Amino acid sequence: MILYLLRRGAAALLVVWMAVSLAFVVLRWSPGDAVDATMARAGLPDDEIEARRDELGLNDPIWQQYVVYVAGLVRGDLGESLVSQQPVSEMIAQNFGPTAALAFCALLVAVILGVGLGAMASLPRWAGVRYAAEAIASLTLSTPVYWTSTLAIYLFTIVLGLLPGVGGQGLRYLILPVTVLGFHTAGSIARVTAESIRDAAKQDFVRTARAKGLRDRQVLYHILRVGLLPVLAVVALQLGFLLGGAVITETIFVRRGLGRVLLTAVNNRDYPVIQGLVGLSAILYSLIHLIADALYRLFDPRVEMD
Amino acid sequence: MRRFVAIVLLVIMALVALFSPLITDRDPRHAVPEDQLQPPSAQYPFGTDLIGRDVYTRVLHGGRWTLGVALLTAVVTLLPGTLIGLVAGYAGGWVDQALMSLMDAMLAFPSLLLALAWVALLGSGQVQIALAVGIAGIPAYARVTRAAVLEARTRPFVEAARSLGARPVGILWRHVLPAIAPPMLAFAGVTLSWAILNSAALTFLGYGGDPGAPDWGVMLADGRQAFRTAPWVAIAPGVAISLTVFAINLLAGSGHSVRW
Repeated sequence: MILYLLRRGAAALLVVWMAVSLAFVVLRWSPGDAVDATMARAGLPDDEIEARRDELGLNDPIWQQYVVYVAGLVRGDLGESLVSQQPVSEMIAQNFGPTAALAFCALLVAVILGVGLGAMASLPRWAGVRYAAEAIASLTLSTPVYWTSTLAIYLFTIVLGLLPGVGGQGLRYLILPVTVLGFHTAGSIARVTAESIRDAAKQDFVRTARAKGLRDRQVLYHILRVGLLPVLAVVALQLGFLLGGAVITETIFVRRGLGRVLLTAVNNRDYPVIQGLVGLSAILYSLIHLIADALYRLFDPRVEMD
Repeated sequence: MRRFVAIVLLVIMALVALFSPLITDRDPRHAVPEDQLQPPSAQYPFGTDLIGRDVYTRVLHGGRWTLGVALLTAVVTLLPGTLIGLVAGYAGGWVDQALMSLMDAMLAFPSLLLALAWVALLGSGQVQIALAVGIAGIPAYARVTRAAVLEARTRPFVEAARSLGARPVGILWRHVLPAIAPPMLAFAGVTLSWAILNSAALTFLGYGGDPGAPDWGVMLADGRQAFRTAPWVAIAPGVAISLTVFAINLLAGSGHSVRW
């Protein structure tokens, strides 16, 4: 187990390093940089702009910038924003909370709704329930967050006046964005759940369980124990999607968070901030997959530790 | 039944997108300032937007823009994705490892973030969005293709072809590709619906390069400005996007339950 975790940890580090390097190289290829995006747009004289570039190290050869950046990373220094001069780690720390709360609560909504719909869609009897569940799952998949958000604000804030709309940070302001984001994510979880439960119900061990005279409830436990495993993998993948969805939800609901930090950074070509966020998302991705894999091995005795 | 409904819907969508200038002779960019934010009426079936453009005309024309960008996006994903998956799955060894760890590094960031990073590189514009979203989709498609190839490789007819001394390119083209086509086509459908949603997300965020374009994402962004008093501006393009994605998902099924 320890050996396995060590090897997975090393692989994860490799993925993070590659992701950050990829972002570094790709961003430095692009014409224009943060100085163009901010100072030149503001109409400052050329020599001042060049001096600023020298100062920020943007005129150094790419490999030199890369070495400086990676050396910083190893020390835990993510660099600082080219626009605001604020350390990237500080920007992440300040905005991590709201985004994490949004993504985590949305994931909770998505898992409850998705597994519920998926279980209903896998019912062998009651075709009506099955079709309804499938229809709702398809609906959630086809309605993007940037549309349902607007609709939800219109309905719940303007017409019904039940919930606050945009701009706030309190708990009540979290309800609409969380629901909207979770709703869209529930569809894929529902589909995988339904398919995987149906698959599991067809397996030999289920027949064996029935043959040895177990009760329906015990058979169901056997089915769910294996049938819900692939759901873990999807949930892990969806968390990544939620971080992306946060960009849109935070913009529409005018919330503070990493999504808006990223958008601003993209608009300003603020490389260190984009790289920092890419690195963060790669770390989260690796960590989530590691946990999902470990849970897989814990719950399904057929999966071997290799 | 499902497939029938889906195909009818998609054919209608495609026809409307192709022949929108024949269905309505109005200009999707033409603004009538005195008629701004008119509710749906006989003259304006879906109402008008903030600067008095006809939402009905814009939604019809929007099919060309949005679906055009989505198709281009899907091509950008499918061609390299299939190629990388085929090569990695068939060659195996270090080639496979190198390609797949590159794909994993790309998969490590959420597709929309990856697309945003590419937009930072490529700049705003319809083609740029198609490239950004398309490139961001490659790793998932390559992974699915590779998994299918690994499975197909062990089939008797592939081994037979190999033992007869056929060249790898020939085997891939004549034996492996047809064998993996059904699941790949279903996943292509998933990719297309995903391309529509993500490229519209980027135009919604304002990276389309043309703020006046009759694009469903742009229209949703316009609708967001006005929805307090004029929800119809956002409803029409939203329904259009959802209906299209719904029809594609219906046809593609949940991966492999429905074969094309």
